[in-house]
Amino acid sequence: MDVLRLATVLETLPRERTRLLDNLGRLRREVGPITPELSDALADHMRLRHGDVHEVTSFYSFLQVPVDAVRVCTGPVCDSRGGREQLGAGAIEVPCLGHCELAPVVLHGDEVVGGVTYSTNDGASLGLARRDETLADYERRGGLALLREPLALERIVAELSASGLSGYGGAGFPTWRKWEAVAAEAGPRYVIVNADEGEPGTIKDRYVMELRPHLLVEATLLAARALGAMEAYTYIYIREEYATARARLTAAIEEFRAAGLLEGLSLDLVVGAGAYICGEETAMLESMEGRRGMPRLKPPFPSQVGYLGRPTLIQNVETLAHVPAILRNGGDWWAGLGSPATGSPGVRLWSVTGAVARPGCYEAPNGIVLRELIDGYAAGLVGEPGAIVPGGAASGILPPAALDVPLTREALTEWGCGVGSAAVQVFPKSYAPLRLLAETMRFFAEESCQKCTPCRIGNRALHHVCEELEHGRAAMSRRQVEEWLDAMTLTSICGLGQAAPYPVRNAFERWPELFAPLGPATLGEPASA
Amino acid sequence: MIEFTLDGRPASAQEDELLVHAAARNGVFVPTLCHDDKLDPYGGCRMCVVGVEGSSRPLPACATRVSAGMVVSTNSNVPQLRKTLTEMLLSEHLNANPGGRPNELVDLARELGAEAPLVLPDAKREPYADRNRLMGYEPDTCILCNRCVRYTQEVMQCSALSLEGRGPEARIVPTWERSWLDTECELCGGCLSVCPTGAIYEKFLEGAGVEERQLEQTKTTCTFCGVGCQIDLNVDPETKRIVKVTSKPEYVSNEGDLCVKGRFSFNFVHHPDRLTEPLVRGEDGELHPATWEAALAAAADGLKGVIRRHSAQAIGVLASARLTNEENYLIQKLARIGLGTNSVHSCEAT
Ligand SMILES: Cc1cc2nc3c(=O)[nH]c(=O)nc-3n(C[C@H](O)[C@H](O)[C@H](O)COP(=O)(O)O)c2cc1C
Ligand code: SF4
Ligand code: SF4
Ligand code: SF4
Ligand code: SF4
Ligand code: FES
Repeated sequence: MDVLRLATVLETLPRERTRLLDNLGRLRREVGPITPELSDALADHMRLRHGDVHEVTSFYSFLQVPVDAVRVCTGPVCDSRGGREQLGAGAIEVPCLGHCELAPVVLHGDEVVGGVTYSTNDGASLGLARRDETLADYERRGGLALLREPLALERIVAELSASGLSGYGGAGFPTWRKWEAVAAEAGPRYVIVNADEGEPGTIKDRYVMELRPHLLVEATLLAARALGAMEAYTYIYIREEYATARARLTAAIEEFRAAGLLEGLSLDLVVGAGAYICGEETAMLESMEGRRGMPRLKPPFPSQVGYLGRPTLIQNVETLAHVPAILRNGGDWWAGLGSPATGSPGVRLWSVTGAVARPGCYEAPNGIVLRELIDGYAAGLVGEPGAIVPGGAASGILPPAALDVPLTREALTEWGCGVGSAAVQVFPKSYAPLRLLAETMRFFAEESCQKCTPCRIGNRALHHVCEELEHGRAAMSRRQVEEWLDAMTLTSICGLGQAAPYPVRNAFERWPELFAPLGPATLGEPASA
Repeated sequence: MIEFTLDGRPASAQEDELLVHAAARNGVFVPTLCHDDKLDPYGGCRMCVVGVEGSSRPLPACATRVSAGMVVSTNSNVPQLRKTLTEMLLSEHLNANPGGRPNELVDLARELGAEAPLVLPDAKREPYADRNRLMGYEPDTCILCNRCVRYTQEVMQCSALSLEGRGPEARIVPTWERSWLDTECELCGGCLSVCPTGAIYEKFLEGAGVEERQLEQTKTTCTFCGVGCQIDLNVDPETKRIVKVTSKPEYVSNEGDLCVKGRFSFNFVHHPDRLTEPLVRGEDGELHPATWEAALAAAADGLKGVIRRHSAQAIGVLASARLTNEENYLIQKLARIGLGTNSVHSCEAT
């Protein structure tokens, strides 16, 4: 450690606890991996106790590793394409690096080995196929008009309501209701963009930020203005691995500032440090407040008690990115982009990866039939498909027989699955469902924040049960497994532990022969909340 | 007072009372592990979940406040959930009794008839040894309820314990795995006192091997300082010796919290050098037992002799740090009025 360098850097670091994560990130980049000595020095500088900084440092995967470390993705798509073979000495395993269309993915420092290419389409709402280089590019396509002549909040809420837009971060909550709820609370109010995209298989928010950063910035500022956010009240929390997106957003924000569009507002980036759970909105708030990113108990919801106890709008990148198109063309227009067959309004970005000819991120109607999505956008299947994950790790697992299912919440519920973050992952038949299941449970176990018993222990046990089954052994009886799944669904604090049982239950139903060693299934309905 | 329904019967509670307390006052015991009234509601272990009408999931009674008309149930699936959660905790609970302290998880398991269906392959945690002589920590007993850590942050404000890491490797450990002695710890033993499993325990030799629950308790006042903390001397029924000191949250002056002296400095009681009666030095130069009257008279004679020979200003009074305010007041009275000196001081001032 360079002591002189440390002293110089420390002097420039702010002392507010809310800047702890940021300070740790800067120390790591500018001085070196966080050691106990660095941690103590920062604690002394910030007048925190040594243990407080230790707890936070140890929560994140990257703070104690060098910035130029080699990071190998072992998420399910990469694993099915030989990801683990890339693991050399000194490399660290990361669960999903958000570049699944390029699988297997390796990061060398900030760089994606082999470079990044995009595969997308020119959708009516987001138009990702044309990349905006500058603010002028963006303005030429009709951008900024809304920011220059803002609509009244009531009008915005009405259009959002007509559009049927609901959250694309995974939970699917109607967007207009959130805006209305936050606006109903007394100010000051915060606006936070969730750019922590970590759900395995999900690449869409990165596409938005790298290809149309100005669109996200304008959408965010629209929300901030509508909700009366002030300076220091608007943030984008972005995962550390997205260096390109970070750079593009930083540059875009500077352009907005130079154009005088930030008047009375600010827009700051908060950079994560490798923890999937920080994508959960209340964990994100804890992380931003300088504590371990462990979810809070809900209620109260962030719209009432959010960042630093204030009402806070937390919205996924993609959700916000659709807002300008909705406000420009009207909510009804946007709703009409949906699929008439299933009556689902609007469009969304589908991350389609794995055994398809053209993996990528495509804007397509909500409620599109799975086969149509794969054939019409991703150029069809490659080889015979095995398991298909419709929307991220916790959305469940479909068998190939489900290819003709429309991707709606209702239709997928019948298959015990959900739309989640619309991350469709197609696995080849050669990738065993048990392997997929074991990898998924390992992911949940490793990412569990450890706050609650059912998630903390349940996921580890299920990972073990799956691994044992790969050898034909039963670590627990089927009945016990089902009791544990029920407890996880019903008593976990956040979505991670609550949803983790889905893929297991799906596999029970679709591939019962794999679970024969566990003994007979019990009668009765599994718990659902 | 507000009305609510508990297991089908009408019940009453204070406005905003925690469900776990309201249930207890209405005769329904809800088990808890991570909850501690001294700490902010946490809701981590989930042992206390109860059904609440209108909520799709059961809610933690330790972190949910009663509202008027609430319909609460501890029947239906609640007993099974408790049992399952207990099984989960047992599946990595490799050492149930490192130091003889009570283990609430084991109690609960016995009551619910819960047993671990498997031992997790990664249940074994890295061992932790600390060179301090007062407190030990056994990672294989810990259920990660985080009570100790929250105590260090919210009550003692030492933050000397951390919940370190994420995922299966997470554990409780003093700051950066140092010895407690090299952290901001003051060895007050508060984290030990809130640990529900006995994973943190007294590691001194006194009482080793005797279960805490077998000890006889005598309530008394700590004699070390004027705060007057209420303590329980725990006596081995066989040897009649004090083997540890505990305290209880309901003790008004200190709410169960102690400092290092009150909690850990008790073995002077049985020390052979301890004075247990007044002694007066005789003509032969040796100390001889005396009555209090004789001893006080000897001290008074000595002081009077100094005043006669050198004046009262030759006397200085140094009061013990153990005295209360009232006693200190009397000391200065004695010095100024009785002895006639203004040289009076308390060693607590330094
Ligand atoms: C374990 C977990 C991880 C999550 N990760 C993300 C994420 O990476 N990005 C995101 O936008 N939302 C994520 N969410 C959902 C957020 O909690 C929240 O619902 C969302 O940001 C709200 O924005 P939306 O309404 O626009 O979707 C996650 C939720 C859970 C339970
Ligand atoms: S469900 Fe898992 S991730 Fe969520 S709070 Fe509980 S332990 Fe943490
Ligand atoms: S013994 Fe007291 S001072 Fe030391 S870690 Fe525990 S609570 Fe903190
Ligand atoms: S040491 Fe005790 S109090 Fe601390 S987390 Fe473990 S079981 Fe809980
Ligand atoms: S010495 Fe410590 S335990 Fe004893 S009364 Fe004083 S503060 Fe309390
Ligand atoms: S006692 Fe309520 S969750 Fe632990």
